Amino acid sequence: MTFGDLTMIAVDNLRRTRLRTFLTTLGVVIGIGVLVSMVSFGSGVQRNVTDTFRKNQLFTTLRVLPVEVDLEDAVGGNLQSVADAAVLDDAVLDSVRSLPNVLFAYPEIRFPVIVRLGERETRAQLAGLPVALGTYPPFDDIPYGRYFTSESDSIIILTQSVLADLGLRVAEERASSTRDDVVGLAPLSADSLLLRRIEIVTSVLEPAALSMANPSGAFRDEVRSYRVGGIMAKSEGIGGLSLSGGVNLAIETAQDVPHLGFSSVWDLLGKLGQEGGYPSIHVRVQDPDDLQDVRTAVEDMGLGVFTFADQLDEFRQQFLVVDALLGAVGTVALIIASLGIINTMVTSILERTREIGIMKALGGSEGQIRGIFFIEAGVIGLLGGIFGVLLGWGVTRIANSVANYWLRPQGVEAVDLFHIPLWLAAGAVGFAIAVSLLAGLYPAARAARVDPVRALRHD
Amino acid sequence: MSTLRAHDLTKTYRKGRVEIDVLRGLSFELERGEFLTIVGRSGSGKSTLLNLLGGLDRATGGRIEVGGRDLSAMSRGELTRHRRETVGMIFQSFNLISSRSALANVTLALAFGDHPRSDRGRRGRELLEAVGLGDRVDHVPSELSGGEAQRVAIARAIANDPDVVLADEPTGNLDSATADEIIALLGRLNRESGVTIVMVTHDEPGARSVSDRMLRLLDGRFVEAPEGVAA
Repeated sequence: MTFGDLTMIAVDNLRRTRLRTFLTTLGVVIGIGVLVSMVSFGSGVQRNVTDTFRKNQLFTTLRVLPVEVDLEDAVGGNLQSVADAAVLDDAVLDSVRSLPNVLFAYPEIRFPVIVRLGERETRAQLAGLPVALGTYPPFDDIPYGRYFTSESDSIIILTQSVLADLGLRVAEERASSTRDDVVGLAPLSADSLLLRRIEIVTSVLEPAALSMANPSGAFRDEVRSYRVGGIMAKSEGIGGLSLSGGVNLAIETAQDVPHLGFSSVWDLLGKLGQEGGYPSIHVRVQDPDDLQDVRTAVEDMGLGVFTFADQLDEFRQQFLVVDALLGAVGTVALIIASLGIINTMVTSILERTREIGIMKALGGSEGQIRGIFFIEAGVIGLLGGIFGVLLGWGVTRIANSVANYWLRPQGVEAVDLFHIPLWLAAGAVGFAIAVSLLAGLYPAARAARVDPVRALRHD
Repeated sequence: MSTLRAHDLTKTYRKGRVEIDVLRGLSFELERGEFLTIVGRSGSGKSTLLNLLGGLDRATGGRIEVGGRDLSAMSRGELTRHRRETVGMIFQSFNLISSRSALANVTLALAFGDHPRSDRGRRGRELLEAVGLGDRVDHVPSELSGGEAQRVAIARAIANDPDVVLADEPTGNLDSATADEIIALLGRLNRESGVTIVMVTHDEPGARSVSDRMLRLLDGRFVEAPEGVAA
């Protein structure tokens, strides 16, 4: 009696009770389906974040930060830590630039502005960007116009988000879109937009005008005008990780724009003792593997470091928890399914007691009898696993379509919210088999213990 | 040379608090190729004796040897092997697997006997032809008459060339004409292949013609055997 023989007997037994086998397997299918769709959601979100990071080449990026000043320390009178904080000035910038493996580094220039286009006006963040970024996404692929060609380039690059805030959109050459997100926006051809000038308004402090009588009179609007040189797609940053602002100037041009050095009181407090410093310095390296060396070097300079790789690791840990929680829901479903397996198989043993007795009389060993029932459980698990993964896949496809159907009108680009990687599919099938075998443990042992004398007794 | 030997064999069942002595010290020997018939009333312990010989059950006391090996000293694995290789069993209620065809019932025994898979079909047909069922191989038990079903069971019992065939009231469920045919078949099997047969039956007159020896079991003991049996 080979394993193949035992399998044939087992499969034959399952075929004989088709409806029962089908229903029992269905339990496993549903359990695995729930498990797979749950975990694939966690894994889909994780993939989206990782892909966005990779697409924007954020794994070759780090930010140098001044050692953070503890606000509580500062308020509590411990000014030592405040004094110790390094200032990110041009000298620091130069020494960062001279570190090995650093491709380029530039200071973070970013402040709030008012954007004016004719009668239209909106608020936005202005960012100063170096020419070197032009080979990196998303700046390497600007849909309309161009990127900066010099650090003191005079053009301004808008995102379509700011354009929408201004009540405008780029008229597409393709058949007019009827999507909800453009309703109410005036279409304007890209060519005509690129000729327009945009006014950037910033507030500056006028110390001379400062008086107790009229404190707000100390602020004066400074207006500068730039030609629109490029229009970028909607910024697709995750959280606050976007490199670009709503409007972008070449870095030296941006540095020339007068502005307040802070955007809030907390900002002001956080920068105590760091006058003239940059909030952070962006660094690009050639290879993600170089990141660690540069990080160590920067930390040795007594500076803080933030990398997107760290951020991702943090995300990953959170995903792990989410995955585990989602997986637990699926596992509960599978445990219920395994009770179904036990129930079915015990019933089947009661029905097949005589048959088991016959097999024993023919020289079937306890191991072989156990094997037959074990294989039956395994086959249920295998089928349940395979069809469960298919069910899970189907459910996620439907859920994804529904989700995108609702998200699209809100201006969110179509995304794949779910992801079933090979390890998940294979793991789910393996898990289904393992759980089914576990469920088959007791019935198989019970079948092996059947007393042939009793089973074969003539009645 | 005796192929089967029992000495002071006892078997006691417990039913709740009551102990029932089914076999109370049986001793007998059987030569290779002999056809032994055991007769006796219901409850006299005939089936119990066959179950002990077949290795389906263990004796409470005494020795029971088949082919020189003591069954009571065997491990469970050795008993399984004994059932598979040394004995073939036939039952009153046939005990065929109802979902399997006649051929599949026979090849199942061949599979347990580790007969090469590719040859099982051929060997199974050969066995069924030998018992006169060459044209019924693909029928399931419910499509067979009682006599045909018992022939399948006989083919199955001899599939792995056992030393001993144990037949437990093989004609109990059959009409007398069919019963005679089955007993004749067992007799022919015994003569032609030389297999040792131990048959338990109520059908004393029918068995007389094929038996070498006849023992009467009463209340767990052999009593004076019926008058000598013609060979």
